[in-house]
Amino acid sequence: MDPILSIRNLTKRFGGLTAVNKVSWDIYPGEVVGLLGDNGAGKSTLIKCVSGVYAADEGEIYFAGKRTNYQRPIDARREGIETIYQDLALANNLDVGANIFLGREVKRSYLGGLIKTLDERKMLTESETALNSLEIHFPTLTQPIESLSGGQRQAVAIARAVYWDARLMIMDEPTNNLGVPEQQKVLELIRKLRDQGVPVILITHTLPDVFAVADRLMVMHRGRKVTEKTTAQTNTQELVQYMVGALDDTKVN
Amino acid sequence: MTRKHVIVALAAAALATAAGAASAADKIKIGFLPGVVDPFYQVMQIGVEKAAKELGIEVVTQVPPTWGVEAQTPILNAMVARGDLNYIITAPTDKEQMVAPLQAALDAGIKVITVDTFLGDGDYVNGPVKFPISYIGSDNVEGGRISARGLAKAIGGKGKVYINSTNPNVSSVEGREQGFKEVMAKEYPDIKVIGPDYNLDDQNKATQQTAAVIEQNADLAGVFGTNVFSAQGAGAAVVNAGLGGKVQVVAYDATLAAIESLNKGDVSLVLAQKPFDMGYMAVQFAAADAAGVTSLPKRVQTGFAIIDKDNVKDPNYSRFIYKAQ
Amino acid sequence: MADTAKIRFEAAGPGGKWGRGREILFRLSRLWAWVFLGLMIAFFVVAVPVYNGGSVNFLTVRNSQNILVAITPVLLLGLGQTFVIISAGIDLSVGWVMSLASVVSALAVRAAFNAGVPLFWSVVISFLAAVAAAGIVGFFNGVIIAKLKVPAFIVTLGMSFIVRGLGLLWSENTTVIGLPPGIRAYGNEALFYFIRGEGGGFYFFAPPEISGDMLRRMDRILPYPVVITAVVVAIAMFILRKTQFGRHTYAIGGNVEAALRAGIPVDRRIIQIYMLSAVTAGIGGFVSTLRYTAGSAVIGDPLLLSSIAAVIIGGVSLFGGAGTITGTVIGALIIAVLTTGLVMLNVDAFWQFIVVGAVVIIAVLIDQSRDLIIGRRKPGRA
Repeated sequence: MDPILSIRNLTKRFGGLTAVNKVSWDIYPGEVVGLLGDNGAGKSTLIKCVSGVYAADEGEIYFAGKRTNYQRPIDARREGIETIYQDLALANNLDVGANIFLGREVKRSYLGGLIKTLDERKMLTESETALNSLEIHFPTLTQPIESLSGGQRQAVAIARAVYWDARLMIMDEPTNNLGVPEQQKVLELIRKLRDQGVPVILITHTLPDVFAVADRLMVMHRGRKVTEKTTAQTNTQELVQYMVGALDDTKVN
Repeated sequence: MTRKHVIVALAAAALATAAGAASAADKIKIGFLPGVVDPFYQVMQIGVEKAAKELGIEVVTQVPPTWGVEAQTPILNAMVARGDLNYIITAPTDKEQMVAPLQAALDAGIKVITVDTFLGDGDYVNGPVKFPISYIGSDNVEGGRISARGLAKAIGGKGKVYINSTNPNVSSVEGREQGFKEVMAKEYPDIKVIGPDYNLDDQNKATQQTAAVIEQNADLAGVFGTNVFSAQGAGAAVVNAGLGGKVQVVAYDATLAAIESLNKGDVSLVLAQKPFDMGYMAVQFAAADAAGVTSLPKRVQTGFAIIDKDNVKDPNYSRFIYKAQ
Repeated sequence: MADTAKIRFEAAGPGGKWGRGREILFRLSRLWAWVFLGLMIAFFVVAVPVYNGGSVNFLTVRNSQNILVAITPVLLLGLGQTFVIISAGIDLSVGWVMSLASVVSALAVRAAFNAGVPLFWSVVISFLAAVAAAGIVGFFNGVIIAKLKVPAFIVTLGMSFIVRGLGLLWSENTTVIGLPPGIRAYGNEALFYFIRGEGGGFYFFAPPEISGDMLRRMDRILPYPVVITAVVVAIAMFILRKTQFGRHTYAIGGNVEAALRAGIPVDRRIIQIYMLSAVTAGIGGFVSTLRYTAGSAVIGDPLLLSSIAAVIIGGVSLFGGAGTITGTVIGALIIAVLTTGLVMLNVDAFWQFIVVGAVVIIAVLIDQSRDLIIGRRKPGRA
């Protein structure tokens, strides 16, 4: 099977600091892969190079076999790379349907295209379908989402990404700031995504999450990839050692 | 007696006959809508209320908090909508823009008397606007001329002078500027006139504008403030620059502040209008009109008291200072 | 396959469906302006005749039309401002844009008419000139705010000085007069006329040729300025609620980062929003020129703050993301009803400022308390 995402020798510098240092990594369809590392390890920067926020200084990224050259995040999104950042990027004053269709609103034309109005009914029914496909149930879809809990808003962000046919989902610390029951629900959603064939890159500090849902994982330290394993092959203590730099597979001779 | 005194006397005589008839006439209700809150209009209000009391007429007064048609018109419309007013005595805040609203008042059956300012060109006999009963106010052009001659004398007949005024297109201050410039151009060729600047009825702005002119013109000899706020503001700027007494100021409108400056020597001449007379006569005109008098003059010129250091204590003059009586 | 039961997000804690009580409170907080307006009208309907011994009534046909005319300038300024404040911006230039538009439209109609263009087309040209001038100002506002990232407060404030200077320059520091005499009809005539009492009746469109007593009994119903404003209000309502542009306006005000990441053309929208704000102010200036048969470079200045007050009273949050056109209309009505009622009660005009100020503060407090009611989170937290 060919990888859906292929990163080759990626390097990104900010001035004198090398945030990402010759990282190579492959992601295959239908898997959940954890991306671990301490603060400053370069996880966010790597991901932002993939999703079009940054342009890499060296190396290549291949998505679905094609070399990528994204100038802006929206270019990556058009290809199907959806990123859910920590702050979710949802409009709290709008309802679920409005958020799922944010920027991609469905319109109805009148007078031969002279007047275009929002097709609110269509957006609502489509939203319900999207949520149902992930088996998410909200009591009401027409209140502004600021009234929802953190986990519910995560669900909306995930549903939005799924609706627009994400071919690769990147999630940055999705269970931060959530209570335990909600964390479980989010993890359940991640499993459903994998079941639907959507690969997920999960950036997280929460090692139990990795063991709960991830098939494989990669650890970064100071900008370099230091190990890549399947979750079954490792345990918490070992991972911590990799994260702090005590262990490093690339330095093993 | 000068010509204007004759006119006033004739008007008064007509009114004396009418007043007797008026008290027997049906009760009328008058609306009083001056330009803005300031001492000049406050004295006018006193005149209005005195005449109303003497004649047993009810007056509804509303004073716009700011100067402008957008402030005056809604109040005017509300007064018209009351449905119980027979006359409106008003100082229109723009000689063109207030024509339509006041015409609407007339259509609704309310007759209009203008005080202090006029509509159109002020000639209600032959001019473009003819519907108000009368225009009762100072001869502002003459007032401008008097101010010019007074200021010229105070500065020795030559030098630079500056006009600070309130709003454009207001008949009263426009007339004063006109008369002032006319005299300076014809009689004092050695005097150069700067301005006018418009402070839009903001005394602080008058001070700022005058201060700027003082800054740029070290040889400024005199300042003419064309009404209450202009005079007070401009005068303050002169004093703040330490030039009180050196730069001569002529102030139109005898507010207490202007008189105080006169006493201190910061202002050399104060022109007092007679707002009390304006208000008083306007009410009498309304009463006379209601009683059926048809010979009311369409233009009544109320005079001036020219107050300077020498006569400020003379009660014949000091009684024209604008204060609550 | 593991548990296939639906993942349920139930109401626990601050999330989920609101309880009945909270929902009622939230809806009430939206409606308080309506309630206040109703109470105020009721108060004046009772108080005015009582104070005046029965000779004056508040809710007459004439007075109701007066109130509609009185809200025209504030409302036209407030309509565009509503969009701007929902997008979490502010436009401090609208008052002076209205003045500039008044001057431009006066100059245009005078020039066109004197050049021989028929009156109706001169008025059309005048309208287009006002809108074009305003649109250009709005464009510059929007570009500087969006592209140069200068805060809206500063840009529109600076622009207001430029516009003010231009208005005074082009009007040569005085009112622009000498307009064709037929202009007065455009600004003061109405759709319907009603003559009370004897020989009376309804007339449509053309004022009857009457005078004297019958003229006194004639009320103008729906004067043209009111009709123009109503059309603009309807269009604004449609745009805000039903179009993608309106939705994007709310999104930008709610979370501009989210809007950017969602691919909304934020810069383009901001320019459009400020142009819209300026254009409604421009229409306000055009209407003012018609009403007062002259162009005035100073006419809009005192109205800016009233327009912002109307928008806030109407429920638009100063933080952006919430508000409606209807709310702004209610806000403008509250101010106009207040002013008119106070005059009829013979109360000094300055009391209106004190009352309006108090109402604005109440509006902001209610807006803040809504946060507590719905447990609104501060923006930025997951």
